Amino acid sequence: MADTTADMTTTATPATADPGGPAPEAAHGPKRPARTRLGRTGQVLGRAFATVWSNPKARVGLVILGLFVLMAVFAPLLAPYSPHDDSFGRNEPGSAAHWLGTTGAGEDVLSQVIYGARVSLLVGFVAGGLSTLVAVAIGLSWGYLRGWGNDVVNFLVNLFLVMPGLPLMIIIAAYLQNGGLPMIILVVVITGWAWGARVLRSQTQSLRSRDFVTAAIFSGESSARVIFREILPNMTSMIAGSFFGAATSAVLAESGLSFLGLGDMATVSWGSMIFWAQNSMAILTGQWILLFAPGLCIALLATSMTLVNFGVDGLSNPRLREGTGR
Amino acid sequence: MSLLEIQDLSVVYEPRGAVPTHAVKNASLSLEQGEFVGLVGESGSGKSTLGFAVTRLAKAPARISGGRIVFDGTDIAHLDAEELRTQRRGGFAMVLQSGMNALNPVRTIAHHFGDIFAAHGHVPKARRRQRATELLDKVQLPSTVLDRYPGELSGGMRQRVSIALALSLEPRLMVFDEPTTALDVLVQHAVMDTIRELQAAEGFTAVLISHDLGVVLESAERVVVMHDGEIVEDGASRQIFSAPAHPYTQMLLSHYADPRAEVVELPGFERKAPQDGAARPERAAAHDAIVVDHVSKVYPPPRRGEQAVTAVDDVSFRLEPGAAMALVGQSGSGKSTIAKMITGVERPTSGTVTFGDLRVDRLRRRQLKTLHADVQMVFQDPYSALNPLHTVEYTLTRPVENFAGLKGEAARERVLELLETVGLTPVEQYAAKLPHQLSGGQRQRVVIARALASNPQVLIADEPVSMLDVSLRAGVLGLLEDLRAGLGVSLLYITHDLLSARVVTDQIMVLHHGRVVESGGTTQVLRFPEDAYTTQLLDAIPQPARRFADGQAS
Repeated sequence: MADTTADMTTTATPATADPGGPAPEAAHGPKRPARTRLGRTGQVLGRAFATVWSNPKARVGLVILGLFVLMAVFAPLLAPYSPHDDSFGRNEPGSAAHWLGTTGAGEDVLSQVIYGARVSLLVGFVAGGLSTLVAVAIGLSWGYLRGWGNDVVNFLVNLFLVMPGLPLMIIIAAYLQNGGLPMIILVVVITGWAWGARVLRSQTQSLRSRDFVTAAIFSGESSARVIFREILPNMTSMIAGSFFGAATSAVLAESGLSFLGLGDMATVSWGSMIFWAQNSMAILTGQWILLFAPGLCIALLATSMTLVNFGVDGLSNPRLREGTGR
Repeated sequence: MSLLEIQDLSVVYEPRGAVPTHAVKNASLSLEQGEFVGLVGESGSGKSTLGFAVTRLAKAPARISGGRIVFDGTDIAHLDAEELRTQRRGGFAMVLQSGMNALNPVRTIAHHFGDIFAAHGHVPKARRRQRATELLDKVQLPSTVLDRYPGELSGGMRQRVSIALALSLEPRLMVFDEPTTALDVLVQHAVMDTIRELQAAEGFTAVLISHDLGVVLESAERVVVMHDGEIVEDGASRQIFSAPAHPYTQMLLSHYADPRAEVVELPGFERKAPQDGAARPERAAAHDAIVVDHVSKVYPPPRRGEQAVTAVDDVSFRLEPGAAMALVGQSGSGKSTIAKMITGVERPTSGTVTFGDLRVDRLRRRQLKTLHADVQMVFQDPYSALNPLHTVEYTLTRPVENFAGLKGEAARERVLELLETVGLTPVEQYAAKLPHQLSGGQRQRVVIARALASNPQVLIADEPVSMLDVSLRAGVLGLLEDLRAGLGVSLLYITHDLLSARVVTDQIMVLHHGRVVESGGTTQVLRFPEDAYTTQLLDAIPQPARRFADGQAS
């Protein structure tokens, strides 16, 4: 999990330039230059990783996810050819030179699969991260603050929840034609934040009635501080869970949109590979591997993140976190 | 032969990834048919673990690591689930502390009885309703309860239903695990009476597990005292009361006193504040009075068509600077609502609350900080009043920064000073701890330290010791007393526990259904109560002394 968060923060930079990605800095919490705090954060992350690792299912998920991350990071070293190099023979079956054969346009399939991991992981983590940020910001303030704004947010969230996700995605994607990856990320964020917001809101509501929250108000804390320093840290597991859930659906949504031809067809992603394979009727020519290889990768990546979520569930058990308290 | 024979029983908790805890160590105990035995100990003494092990309800990570439990000639320590299930009838039953929450909210009470009768098949279908009525009658509930849902019954009624359910299998051994702890004071008393009468009439063997030696001494014939997983004393109630042998029992017993007595003393507690208020302490933090004038609070009806709830009804009082006043009453009497209105958390429906020049009932959200600089609160449950993820230092630094405006090293110094004030030394060590590394009493001291961080004039303590073990109570009460004497803060002490009210306060107000039924000097009111309700509250306190003095002990 340590790799993935690092990955998320590094890849988040191009996406924040995107006007549609409302990324409030509040969720990061106030950063203080205290050394001990940094050390403690490291310790907390380490402990979180250990907790997730201790769950056998999550361990399998972490290993698979780690392999995909390595594959994406070291793609130029691992891939035998450039994914755009179409100088090879067309529709070649697997051979020593091209392990998985070549596409109808004469590109190396293995290289495309390896490079495709970059797009999927990037979209998964950036879109998942952004929609989690939106969910956290809206869910927490919605659950904590009271007043007329509450009803407005309630209406909005319900609106996004009742609208079927895929058709909405297709419509937005069709309007923002040729927007490339940022467009896909934006679409996924718009359609993906509402569920997380609702879950986090109910948890916030149950935490806000706890004595330590009232006590923080008596200590003169501002609402923002109560929300982000008292309530938020008590929901880390839930937020991590909603991040992996959102990332999984973002990976699937990206593949789905690309497969439907709504993404940027020039970029090599697993979804667009299946799109082109479908277009060249790869199944009829006996090149099932063209569909199978990217399909399996999508399924494996989604599965790995779902498996990691099992371990995150363990994190959310207060007794595990409280240790021997009480 | 005795009904239950526990030999050398040990129970160990083995949570994943943590050090195993030996909750019960080599306990041996034998119970005769028809005995009423009390099992007493403070939290962590292993009394509940022992009770659960005896009825074989202990679940992982708890494990019976050694010894035998012989019930009526068979060793039940290692029976499997199905053998156990058949044993439950005519065998042993248990009533839990949260028994009133053990009922399924979507099924009627009749269904609950039906399930048990069907599972064991010992009551023919035609007689089931009649049998259920009989059982309810034994716990003094009318048969109309059968068609009600659990949500429609009060806590005391639900606990009675769960006792009746436990009775339905005609057990020979009943284990009551803190059966009244979660109930209101007055209800507690009534439910204990029922249990006592029931035991006498049915003749089953009863084990009453409780942290409250007073309750146990009042009911049980024999008392078993546990401490740190070991049975330290086992004897007849009268003997335990008059001549406790073990120092731990002596210590427990010393914390009981009659609030009606002329002089009330608790070990480790010393009265320091001037009683009459004439002599002022050297430092007088408080200089403003809280004035509550004809305050009422009406909550809108919970459901359409129901009556509005009047939580507080025309209450007026004045908390003088430096004074200590107790607000007493059972749950629902409106005492906590008054605290909320004084601290600005709730607004009164009518009437005014003023603190100095501040109209508390008209404060806006942002102005609350001004009020909280002077009026601070000590919470009831020290386990939920501290954020489990923050260190003691962080928790205390926040109010110091917010109210005193201190930063960095100065703030840290002030935090350490606060820890010193509440007696958590060595301060450096405590500052770095997380709440779960502290005991309940230590947590409550941190909560008090946080309340003191703003140098408040008034402390409002909402049942500050009710969640603590008796041996820790005196310490926390003593701390409150020290603060009043040393710093001169005013104290509004909210409680249902008249004994602690007697020792820390000068004035008292007794609340009933939101109205003040009696008020005056604490000693005067408690010694010579005028209102019937005050007398009722006083009578609800377990009085082993009276039981043994009257000679009605069995």
